[in-house]
Amino acid sequence: MIISDKIIETTIEIFTTMVMMEVSADGPLLVKSGTLCDTITGMIGLAGTHKGVLAIHIPHYVALAITSSFLGMDVEEINDDVRDAVGELANMLGGNIKNILSENGRDIELSLPSTVAGHEYDFSATTDVDLFILPFKTSAGNFMVELQLEK
Amino acid sequence: MNVGQYIIEATTDVFSTMLMVDLGIGEPVEGAGGDISSNITAMLGLGGDIRGMLAVHCPATVALAITSNFLGMDSDELNEDVKDAIGEIANMIAGNLKIAFAGHGMKIELALPTSIVGESFRVAGMLAARRIAVPFDMNGSQFLVELKYIVNS
Repeated sequence: MIISDKIIETTIEIFTTMVMMEVSADGPLLVKSGTLCDTITGMIGLAGTHKGVLAIHIPHYVALAITSSFLGMDVEEINDDVRDAVGELANMLGGNIKNILSENGRDIELSLPSTVAGHEYDFSATTDVDLFILPFKTSAGNFMVELQLEK
Repeated sequence: MNVGQYIIEATTDVFSTMLMVDLGIGEPVEGAGGDISSNITAMLGLGGDIRGMLAVHCPATVALAITSNFLGMDSDELNEDVKDAIGEIANMIAGNLKIAFAGHGMKIELALPTSIVGESFRVAGMLAARRIAVPFDMNGSQFLVELKYIVNS
């Protein structure tokens, strides 16, 4: 199982079925997510036998388009609806990754999803991890999915 | 189950045992507390009988002081050493919370710490989650330990 392929597969599946948006992988694995500008990050922890963090980093203007499609309503600014939508995306991605990493999905627990949003911030693991960062593109713009797994 | 008290005990234990610091303890605040001013936030997810997210929010000065005390390293900026130090603080506080919840019959597992560094960012949990935050004082400067959680049904 190549985890990056699985991340791509699961992201496309969720966006197609739940967000009703077409997405495609936009290049090879990135080395780091770097400084995030005018971005909102949805994140969820994976706890148990496989420890990790799943994050989705979305530029503000793309997050508005995604939320509008996801909720079926127009959003014009980063508000509670956008934060909840992005958190829910992380939740769904986390749920799928959990099932991929652990056959029956039962030895991994998902944390509460959270979001971080701001003008400029960086997001990094503070322990030694294997990093999988994949860029995606949609008609509204690009975003990244990042999976950190304990070594 | 007094989550505010768990946070207080978990945090003061880490600081007195590992940093030899006696913290000033503020009043736990429940519910949405408005925007939190932080330069570095370490976050760590909890899963199991509770689905939670622990966050330790520090202004730069406090983060640098903690790093200096904890790792014996003097930094003048929020670099990798500082991120590692605050991440490890969050990890240890979460470890204590795991024990506290276990005493209440609730089994939780920890995920991995992540650091967020920036001038102005905003952390939010899902709207339906409970939120408890406790301010602490270390040598005159404040930092905040916050737990958002839902009980897993």
